[in-house]
Parts: sequence; C-alpha cells; structure tokens
Amino acid sequence: MKFTLLLFVLAHKLKAAAKKNSAYRKHLGIMQLRVLIKTSDDKRGRLFIFDKGTFSSVSGTLHQCDAALIWADAGTAFRVMTSKTGDADTFRAAAEGRVRVEGMVPYLQWFTDGVKLVVGKEVSHGD
Amino acid sequence: MAIKGGHLVARYLKEVEGIETVFVLSGGHIEAILDGFTEHRIRAIDVRHEQVAAMAAHAWSVYAGQTGVCLVTAGPGFTNALTGIANAYLDNAPLVVLCGKHPLKEDLRGALQEMNQIDMVKPITKWAATCYETKRIPEYLSLAFRYASMGRPGPVFLELPPDILNISIPEEMAPLPKHPTRKYTVHPDDADLKQAADLINNAKQPLFLGGSGVGYSRSGDALGQFVEKTGIPFILMNYGRGELPDNHPQSLWDVGNIGMMLTMSQADVIVIAGLRLNWLLQSGAAIPAAAKIVRIDIDPHEIDRNRRADAGLVGDMTSVLNQLLPLVQKTDRSAWLKTLRAASAAFIESELKARETPSDPIHPIRLAAQIQKVVGDDAYYVTDGGDTVYFGLVHFTSRLRAGVVGTAAGLLGCLGTGIPFAMAAKLAHPDKKVILLNGDGSFGFNAMEFDTMLRHNIPVVCIINNDCAWGMVKHGQELSIGKGRLKCTELDLLRYDKMFEGLGGHGEFVTKDEEIIPALKRALESGKPACVNVMTDPTAMSPASVIFYQALKME
Repeated sequence: MKFTLLLFVLAHKLKAAAKKNSAYRKHLGIMQLRVLIKTSDDKRGRLFIFDKGTFSSVSGTLHQCDAALIWADAGTAFRVMTSKTGDADTFRAAAEGRVRVEGMVPYLQWFTDGVKLVVGKEVSHGD
Repeated sequence: MAIKGGHLVARYLKEVEGIETVFVLSGGHIEAILDGFTEHRIRAIDVRHEQVAAMAAHAWSVYAGQTGVCLVTAGPGFTNALTGIANAYLDNAPLVVLCGKHPLKEDLRGALQEMNQIDMVKPITKWAATCYETKRIPEYLSLAFRYASMGRPGPVFLELPPDILNISIPEEMAPLPKHPTRKYTVHPDDADLKQAADLINNAKQPLFLGGSGVGYSRSGDALGQFVEKTGIPFILMNYGRGELPDNHPQSLWDVGNIGMMLTMSQADVIVIAGLRLNWLLQSGAAIPAAAKIVRIDIDPHEIDRNRRADAGLVGDMTSVLNQLLPLVQKTDRSAWLKTLRAASAAFIESELKARETPSDPIHPIRLAAQIQKVVGDDAYYVTDGGDTVYFGLVHFTSRLRAGVVGTAAGLLGCLGTGIPFAMAAKLAHPDKKVILLNGDGSFGFNAMEFDTMLRHNIPVVCIINNDCAWGMVKHGQELSIGKGRLKCTELDLLRYDKMFEGLGGHGEFVTKDEEIIPALKRALESGKPACVNVMTDPTAMSPASVIFYQALKME
C-alpha cells in the first residue's frame, strides 16, 4: 500500500513540475517515453508517460513501456526508493535479485535525473 | 654510389625503422618514393582515398604495434588525408604521414597543388615539417619517428618536395642513423607510488579502467600480475582492450558498458590508466564525488584533467604497473566482483535476452551474438557506426590484443574508419579472421576500398548492420525534434552485397534470423573479401544514442 501511495505521490509531483518547474520542463524537452515501475507479481505499479513536454500517469502494471523497473516486492521497493543512500541501495537490491530493469537503462537514468530535479535529493533509479 | 631522394626515404624506412608496409595513394609528386618502395621491397597498399591511407596506417600502429606510415600526394591528396590525421591525433596514434609538395623552385608561381599544407596540418599533429635538402632526409625522418612514438604518441607530418626527391646525391652524404627510434620510459616518484598503493590496498570496492595507454605500452603481462594480485575488477577500453582477454575472470566485459557505469557509481577507488576522462565518461561526472581516484598516464597534463586525482602516476604504463606490483597487497575481492556482476546483470537483462532470442526484424544485438557464435574469440572484431559500435563493443569478445575495436568510438567520432581498420588488422594478422560490423551509413564513406581488398587479397568479412539510416543521429532526432520531423537521417534499402559481387567478391543478403549463420559461414569459407548485408530492426536503438542525445542537449 505504501509503495502504491509512493508512486501516486511521485506522479503528482512530476505532474506539477511538468507545468510549473522550468528546470524540469527543460529536462522533459519533447521526450516521448513510457516508464513503468512495478512489482514482479504485477499487483502494484504505475506507468509514467512523457509525451513532448507533457506528463501523465496511470496506475496498473500491464502497460506497454520503453523501460521498466521491476521490484521483487513492494516492501523492498518502498524501502529502497525512500532511502537516503539512493543508488547504493538500488545496487544492493539488484545484486540480491530484488530489482531488475527491462528496456534501456539510460531511459531510467533520464527519468531519475528528472526526479532529482523535482525532489532535489540524491535518489535511486525510480525514486 | 648515388641515391635518389625518394629511394633514400624508402631505404630509411626499411633499414632503420623496419617498416615493411606503407599505405599509399599514388601521385606525381611522390613518384620517386613509390619507386623507392619497389627498390627496397616495401609493401605499398594503395588505397582509393587518402583518408583511408591515414586511417589504415593509424590502425597498423594498433594491430602491428609499430608506428604506422602513410604516403599521400600534394594538394587534394593532402586535404583528403586530413580527416585520418585528425582522427589519429585525437586517438594519440603514432603515425608518420609522408606527403608530396609542389616544387620549391615553383613556389609562389602558381604551381600545381601549391598550398600551405604545413599551417593546415599543424593543429592536428605533434610535429610538422618540410625537408629542404636531400641529404637531410634521414635526419628529418628520424625526427618524425621520434616525435610520433615518444611520450604520448601521435601523428607527425613530413613534406617532401620533388626538388629533393627527384635528385640523386652520393650515398655517403646522407648516412643512415645506426639505431631506430629509441624506446624509453619515465617513472613516477616513489612517494606517489606508495600513495597510490595505499589507496588500492585500502579499497573495499575498487575498479580498474584501462584505455589506449595500456595498449600502446603493451602492458598485458604487467597488468595481468597487477589485477590478479589485487583482485581488482577491470575493464579495458579503446586500444587497451584485449591486453588481457575479454573472458578474464575479473574482466567486466560480460556486463558491458552498463555494468561498467553501474560499477563506477559504487566504486570507492577507481584506477584510471591510460584513459582520458572525456565526454564518453561524462568528462569525469560519471565518477561519484566520494570515490578516490588513482590516475596513471604518460602525459602529466591528463593526471588531474576533469577530475582531481588523489594519486597521480606519470609514466609508461608497463613500467608504472611493475613498480606498483610489489607495493600492493594480495587481496581477495571475489565477493565484490560477484556483487557487481549480479547487480549489473539485473540492469542488462533485456540485452542478454536479445542475444538469445530470434527476432523479426533482426535485432542488432542478436546479429552480433550470432556472429560471435560462428567466429569465436580467436578473431579480430572491428565495429564502425553509431549504435552499431555499441552493439559490437558490448556483444563481441576476443582473446586477442585489440581484438574488439570500435573505430568510430574515439574522440573524433569518425565514421568510415571501420574498413581501413579491418584491412590493417588482416594485413597485420593474415592468419586470423577479421570481422567488420559496419553500420550502413558509415559503410558508405570508404566502401570503394573493397577494391583495395580485392587487389591486395585482404579477405575481410564485412557484415552490414543495415537499418537504412544514420541510426544514431536518427534516434537522436527522434528524441530531440520528434519522429515526425526527421531530416537527412534516412537511407534506402541498398544491396551493398551486390556491389561486392559486382566487383568480384562474395555477397550475402540476409533478412531472417535463421539465415545469419549459414550466410556467415559461406562468407568465411569463400576466402574472398565478403559482404553480408543484414537487414536489421530500424527501431533498435542503443543506450549510446540516449547518451549522445543528452550530451548535445544544451538547455
């Protein structure tokens, strides 16, 4: 539940930033990209849709996407995505088989770089 | 005995420097040197465009481990060679460019091909000069070879006008030096060595990144001992790749560039050896601020460039590694290696899957994997293009020195280099298979060199990753200006294989996954220069395209 809520809040922040945050708007450019963050059991997740400077999102996991961050379970996802040590925790989770990426990593990096602009802290992939 | 200036050039090359092969495009101004090659039995590989002469000579330095030499004529021969010279300059390749010049006696009279070549070439060479006296030819050539190979290597340029090439002088007037260019090494300070060793010994999660400096120094043996003692994971890039085999248990090529970037983000000590922190490593920004840096480079200017080093070791790579070896502790870092491999695998799952999965249209990763399956790791792989370079670099492995080279991945990003590099690789190692994976766009630059391959019996197998586009630029445009506004990035479906066949080589056209391996086998068995024209997925994009797009985004 906390993970689902986290994704919802993140989407809300990105939506606001896409309208009002000039640095984030520049970052978005005209990128057309669909990033999915979900759990591997397909029970929880959200699709983040970037389309030529606009942002929207939908809940659910069965969406087509360009890159996906797939967590083994919601607990790990919430803990890592909200941790202060960001990338290091993601790295550890990946080494332990608790997160994996489908699609191209640079897309997720682009997504993460954008999130950093909005939330203003060191964050891991998918924060 | 009298000797002609042009013959004196050839005699010097052969007898002093041991040059057996020169890449050439003929011209009237340099006729006496060409005749000297006949006299002194130097193999002249005559190409169809002077940029190829420079690029292939540059490649010769990589594959043969000897300063490369090219000979081009004045005027357009010179200007055509400039791209190849610039590429060698940015790649720090030891290259001697011998060039014709209009006759000195016709200076300022509107002579054929009269132009100020020296001023044009100076910014892209370590040294450029004109020889004005026949008797000084050996002296000038000796200087040229010294400048090309000593310290940080690079291209040099020597103009030889017909006034000195076409006249004869008594041999005793121009004695040859007794020795070729000397080899020497410089050594870092003992205190710097200790500082570096301490950092490495105390590291929990170290990483070794090696570049061309590792290759030019032929550091394989020293590096092998160093990495095995320290247990440090490593990745060798550019012309350093293959100094230790890609399948070395500590090499990270099995997780590729993504794995390297991920590992870099978590490393606490990074040894950067003979590698510049240029745009490909985000000018150092890819390295976390907390990581300690040990830089090793022959050029002191590189030590703190783009990132201040915590320990800087200036010197020849082999020498530095040999000096570090007794100072570093034997350490078991297998747990770190296991962790970073496991983490990296989670990030490249899609790429690993694409290797094993037949696809329609063919995915370039699948193509590279199938090529590797047929050819194996006892071969030279050359890869040229944009995305094509990424696919080749990440998905080919070789156990040979410089066994996998992405020719367009240098600082000049010079497309068209694949064919000259593949030719040089085959000439330097005729007993090995040489595979060129070329994007269809980049293939066009020097495609006529297929004629050179045929004339000189250089049976390279060229596989075209044909996405009917300048793929990386096209994908960059898709990201930056949108799919609906692509401009000048699309190409037609061309039968390059038919072009090869028409010239007398072997051609194959592949559109289906199951056709790849049989076509490759036929191409290899033909014994001829061959083209396997493979239609691949035009939507397939590599991570390099995204990085390329990001690098040029200025807002």
